[in-house]
Amino acid sequence: MSSVPISQWPSEYKYSAPVAGDTEMVNVTIDGVEVQAPRGELLIKVAQDYGTYIPRFCYHERMKPVGMCRMCLVEVEGMRGLQISCATPVVEGMVVTTQSPDVKEAQDGVLEFLLINHPLDCPVCDRGGECPLQDQTLAFGPGESRFVEEKRHFEKPIPISDLVLLDRERCIQCGRCTRFAAEVAGDPLIDFGGRGSSTEVITYPGAPFSSYFSGNVVQICPVGALTARSYRFKARPWDLSAVETSCQSCSVGCRGVLDSASNRLVRFLGVDSEPVNHGWLCDKGRYGYEWVHAKDRLNIPLVARGGGLVPESWPQALELATSVIRDVFDKHGAKAIGVLGGAQGTNEDAYAWARLAKGVIGTDNVDAQLGDGLPAEVVIGMERATIADLDSARAIVLLGPDLKEELPVLYLRVRRAAVDLGVPLVDIGASNTGLTPYAQAVLRHLPGDPEAVTEKLAAALAGQPTRPDELRPLLEAIDKRALIQKEGPVVVVLGRSSVAEAADATVRAAAILAQAGISAKFLSALPTANVHGALDLGLAPGFLPGRVTLAAGRDELAKTWARVPEEQGLGAAKILANAAGGEIKLLVLLNCDPIADFPDGQLAKDALKNVEHVISLNSFTNESMRHADVVFPITVWGEQRGSISNIEGRVARLGRKITPDGSTMEPWRIATELAARLGHEMDLESFTEVQDEIAQVAPAFVGVDSKLISWARDGAVLPVADHAAEITLALSSLDQNKRSAGVSWEPIPTSGEDTPGNGAVPPAVISPPRPAQALYSWAKQAPERTAALADSYSLRLVASRTLYGNDLITTQSPSLARLATVTAQLRVNERERDRLGVADGEVVRVISSRSSIELPLVVDPSVPERVALVAINRDAPGASDLVDINESVTDLRIETLSKPVIKES
Amino acid sequence: MGFTDEDRVRARAIIDRYPHAKSAMLPLLLLAQDRDGWVTPEAMEEIAVWLGTTPALVLGTCSFYTMLKREPVGDLVVSVCTNIACLVNRGPELLDGLRSRYEGDTAIMVEEVECIAACDRAPAIQINYEYYGPVDTTAAVDIIEQYRSGALQARTISGSSRGAK
Amino acid sequence: MGKFSGFRITIAQVFKPKVTGDYPNSKRPKPERFHGRHVLNRYEDGMEKCIGCELCAGVCPANCIYVRGADNPPDSPVSPGERYGFVYEINYLRCIHCDLCVEACPTEAITETKLFEFSFTNRQDAIYTKSELVVDDQGRAQRQPWELWLGDEDDQTSGWMRATASAGQAEFEGKVGWSGELGVGVRAAEPSQDKTRTAIAPTSEPEEVALG
Repeated sequence: MSSVPISQWPSEYKYSAPVAGDTEMVNVTIDGVEVQAPRGELLIKVAQDYGTYIPRFCYHERMKPVGMCRMCLVEVEGMRGLQISCATPVVEGMVVTTQSPDVKEAQDGVLEFLLINHPLDCPVCDRGGECPLQDQTLAFGPGESRFVEEKRHFEKPIPISDLVLLDRERCIQCGRCTRFAAEVAGDPLIDFGGRGSSTEVITYPGAPFSSYFSGNVVQICPVGALTARSYRFKARPWDLSAVETSCQSCSVGCRGVLDSASNRLVRFLGVDSEPVNHGWLCDKGRYGYEWVHAKDRLNIPLVARGGGLVPESWPQALELATSVIRDVFDKHGAKAIGVLGGAQGTNEDAYAWARLAKGVIGTDNVDAQLGDGLPAEVVIGMERATIADLDSARAIVLLGPDLKEELPVLYLRVRRAAVDLGVPLVDIGASNTGLTPYAQAVLRHLPGDPEAVTEKLAAALAGQPTRPDELRPLLEAIDKRALIQKEGPVVVVLGRSSVAEAADATVRAAAILAQAGISAKFLSALPTANVHGALDLGLAPGFLPGRVTLAAGRDELAKTWARVPEEQGLGAAKILANAAGGEIKLLVLLNCDPIADFPDGQLAKDALKNVEHVISLNSFTNESMRHADVVFPITVWGEQRGSISNIEGRVARLGRKITPDGSTMEPWRIATELAARLGHEMDLESFTEVQDEIAQVAPAFVGVDSKLISWARDGAVLPVADHAAEITLALSSLDQNKRSAGVSWEPIPTSGEDTPGNGAVPPAVISPPRPAQALYSWAKQAPERTAALADSYSLRLVASRTLYGNDLITTQSPSLARLATVTAQLRVNERERDRLGVADGEVVRVISSRSSIELPLVVDPSVPERVALVAINRDAPGASDLVDINESVTDLRIETLSKPVIKES
Repeated sequence: MGFTDEDRVRARAIIDRYPHAKSAMLPLLLLAQDRDGWVTPEAMEEIAVWLGTTPALVLGTCSFYTMLKREPVGDLVVSVCTNIACLVNRGPELLDGLRSRYEGDTAIMVEEVECIAACDRAPAIQINYEYYGPVDTTAAVDIIEQYRSGALQARTISGSSRGAK
Repeated sequence: MGKFSGFRITIAQVFKPKVTGDYPNSKRPKPERFHGRHVLNRYEDGMEKCIGCELCAGVCPANCIYVRGADNPPDSPVSPGERYGFVYEINYLRCIHCDLCVEACPTEAITETKLFEFSFTNRQDAIYTKSELVVDDQGRAQRQPWELWLGDEDDQTSGWMRATASAGQAEFEGKVGWSGELGVGVRAAEPSQDKTRTAIAPTSEPEEVALG
């Protein structure tokens, strides 16, 4: 990057660390050791990479240097005075001393100065024991202070948001939190106020730091000034035991460390994983661990008896479930059995249930997506991008949901690519999203009708000479970007922006981009935790584990499986319709609640009312299991080891930190138990055996056995043959020339049962064989276009998700439940409101072809005209009452009620 | 009172002067102070909208500068220096004298300041950033009363000569 | 001498002075650094010193201490500052009296006495909770039914704190760097370990020693 003259830098050029390999290497001598580093890399980073830890407070690898704390002073030959190594780029021939008497004196001075106002309440501070200020004072400090005056005093912790508390006395003004808020999260709601010794972090009165990413500032605060309400005084660091795991609150799969004390989860911290989350977490992921300990957790099997669900022993419950399955199978055949869900579990759960449903029972009526995703053949077969591809993309096209609401950390990655790396961004959609402000081109269309604008975009990206006005800034940005980034795919972030319209329109738009000859790659934006793992492992109609179709995989799989379904089964919508119609007699609900989750609520209710038998696996009771024959309580995240696949298809480890209360079982084990009772022994005794079987039978998973999963530090992207070079093994990752600095407190070191065992030897080289058969590839055929006519009086519904809603993680975690709005609102723009002539907050009647409900109307200037927005993840009455899954779009008519009701705030 | 439409036109012109809108923060805060005599919360919120940023950043900048007042200070700000040269020339007595004279007077705020670079005239005061000194309490009160009666024309409390008052 | 030769040593001992004492009616003075059971101290104004920081529990090699802190009620604080020890339990079936908890304590809340003669009849008695460990209103250890003390044995502390200088520096010897205790006040510094110097009287005011 630095080979480009400054005069040619785009005006938006922002600092970002150069990527090794791209730039010229220079020789630097650090404490007498000569090392090579890319020119322009920061001295503090180079030193750390080569084993010299320079103390620091304000410097953070993922943020721009600011030079506020003066802790990282070093001596550089030929430069006058001491230099702050966090803001000094390395150049050829630089000679650096990090431990001279002058440096030591400076470090003593800085620490003595910082401790003038820092209270010594370490014994009651949450950070005490893992505090960078404590650690570095011990390692680099003077040991004594000459300051005997009174320290400054502020009121002890004040809330700066619902989740974060600020103790201003402890703040050392490093600016990490304020910089994070402004630079990384893009929510500059905190800043420094005052000056000198009265400087403090402030929020504007009445505008708290209510960012979706507020918890990150607690993690990066180098002192105990920012503390999390949920962890405050819960445990001391030496009480904690930790395990590294992946977050399951959405499908990004952020890496993190889960801490427990006394068999209770108390904290989740982000781990800096270069290809995934850069150390960041959203607040839902960070504080969502609380739901594991919700008091309503199911912890014993329930069976239907005497008109209700009563506790039963495991053997009895398993016997009963077996007899239900056998009974339906014998009377009506395998096709009368449908399996829904599985997107919330692990890969092992998905595989074992796919094997039970398809390989033992023989039904292909299996769907992990509850009508809120994209067709499985698109997700499984599209050409996939990785998250890292965003950074080097020629352009990023957003064709899906609001990433800030549904995949928050992916939002951070896209935002970073757009803002810091200058990747041009296109926003296609029916309404504004969190990324709209950063887009060079904003292409609005009516819900369900993205083709026209997509065609225009595809033509422009493909190099059509005419440049439409609305695309001119985008194309100019792409031209400018070409100066520093020649090649790169167009990354399309593809998902379902609204469940009120059929997925077909989105698929058509995707097909246009895929066929445009712009080397488009797709990054899936389906938000459900492990939906990609579930699809990859066969929980989709027509597919078998490992991204192959029934036909393609049959011969190979029949060697291990008892049988393989003959013909393609039904998707979730058809399964529910057939259950409502009586063709399907047994529904197995894998950790899902169709009545709450399926977009067409009425259909789900009818299905579960009419179906004869229901077997449900869940961790909570819900409406869908009201008429269940058997309910199995399952272990959840934090209680179960295994693996998940994220949006990229990256298979990563899940760690177990606590043993569950009561008697719960892993879903995969329930599948093997049921299979055995049905007369088919799966011979799977542990999660590693399941992983090894997956690696054997599922073509896409070739090479991804339990050994690789436990050693690959950031996981492995499927198929491994294409991504082997990106895999870093946990202990062999340290370059021979680069010693670990050892004393660094960032990124967080990990420990626990999932850390590869002592004495075990990592595989030397990852060179997995190519899959024996070709993986399924999407034919890019767009579905038929169904004309959707709307009269001019109607509004078209966009039913999207928000981060906090009526989902289990939010409602069962006390910290998050406070933030969630669970009642639905109809959001329209001001002109639509005026056209109706109602007041803001007034309740109106909303009529769709399906039903009519009453909702408060709220003005939202970001909603375009002729569009109405209702969040889908709200309690009834809400969007799911309005949606008819058979309609391609949902048009609404709004009527005012005679008696206006003013909504209470 | 808040910004007038004329102010908004002027604000637009100020913002256009800079390549980055945020650079106009300080001139706009001064504009707000000239209008109301202090920077009101409403002004900070409006400036945040103009600059496409958050009120927190405006407040952060505003609170850094002691000459930007975040509560009503009246028409005249009398700054009395008590730094070394003024200290030995009875600056503190002058401060006490003025404070007791104008206690409870909402039109006049007497504040203590560090060195205002008028050591040759110690003890020195500023009245809306106009220098006077050496003065004793009687002389200072005399000058302040001249401003109050209109015999002398005060600058704005931002120190700009373009008087809004 | 024949058959009495085997008693020669025994008989000789009869005429030597006794080495056994009239225990437990009289006891020998205990060594200066003897570690007995703990007390939780209070400040001279009656406030508890424990802030519930769990450092003692963290450092305990026998895992015999269980502490939970809680926020001080603003209207009737138990200890100065934000937090106080809400639960404090020591299991004396596990305690090895190593005194590491005392060294770890940042507020001198926990110290050891020289009381060690217990005779528990059940496990529950062996777990001392806050109600047994906190000193009474006179600043004295609370006597439990199964403990055997004589006279003012409870007055003696294990005393390491008063002998240890900050960072082990000799110039701190004799300087009072500790807080007063209920019923006792500021304890005097230990006699110097340097035999060439005489005992040092405590300075009247506790001297502030600032640590980095």
